Amino acid sequence: MTLYILCFILLMVGLWGVLTRRNLIKIIIALSVMQYSINLFFILIGYIKGGAAPILRSDAALTTYVDPLPQAMILTVIVIGLATTALLLSIAIKLYKKHNTFDVNQINLLKG
Amino acid sequence: MTIIVKKVTQLVSGAIFLFGIYILVHGHLTPGGGFAGGALIAGAFILLILSYGSDYLKLVDKEKGSALTESVAIFGFLLFAAAGLLFGLKTFFYNFLPTGEIGKINSAGIIPFCNVLIGIEVAAALLSIFYAFLIYKEEVQK
Repeated sequence: MTLYILCFILLMVGLWGVLTRRNLIKIIIALSVMQYSINLFFILIGYIKGGAAPILRSDAALTTYVDPLPQAMILTVIVIGLATTALLLSIAIKLYKKHNTFDVNQINLLKG
Repeated sequence: MTIIVKKVTQLVSGAIFLFGIYILVHGHLTPGGGFAGGALIAGAFILLILSYGSDYLKLVDKEKGSALTESVAIFGFLLFAAAGLLFGLKTFFYNFLPTGEIGKINSAGIIPFCNVLIGIEVAAALLSIFYAFLIYKEEVQK
């Protein structure tokens, strides 16, 4: 239970970074921190105490395995996170080229 | 970069590359596999490029090469999957090769080949993304 609460605190750290930082690169880093907290939470749900990696072995004495389903899902999430991070960084570079700054307060193109 | 960074990168990147290959070929025996090994291999290349710098004209060629490698690797993976339609039970992704003995490196049928192809694909894709950023940077500076 304590570990789940720590995961939630890590999520809140990421959310705080997204809401309070003004630099676009720091916002992207905070989004990555949020994503990693979710990954950690899912991996911890599938963990069984004393369990081994879910791979067939030659010595069949070991019978306790951790749940492989969250791990397979989180592998997909990591790949998608990589792609979205690259996309966000390219958008940030485009904005920097247009406005010559990463500060979101100075990028006020949409202000009515 | 300074001489310290260059020398340490020279010493370390080969070891990182070999470790990536180890993770790749042991994908069916130990945790890891295609994505982790490919990310390690791409990391070795990215480390070298970051420390030694790069030439703009070479970068465009390299980006083409990595994109071609990525496409060829994923095409080979698709061929392995479609080969299951020809042999054995005639299903997609059918494991038509002999599975061997559990725990040996030459076991598990087509899974090691698929792991190696996925690793090449992931490494080439990560390098393509990195090259795209570098090329964009050079274009902005011009």
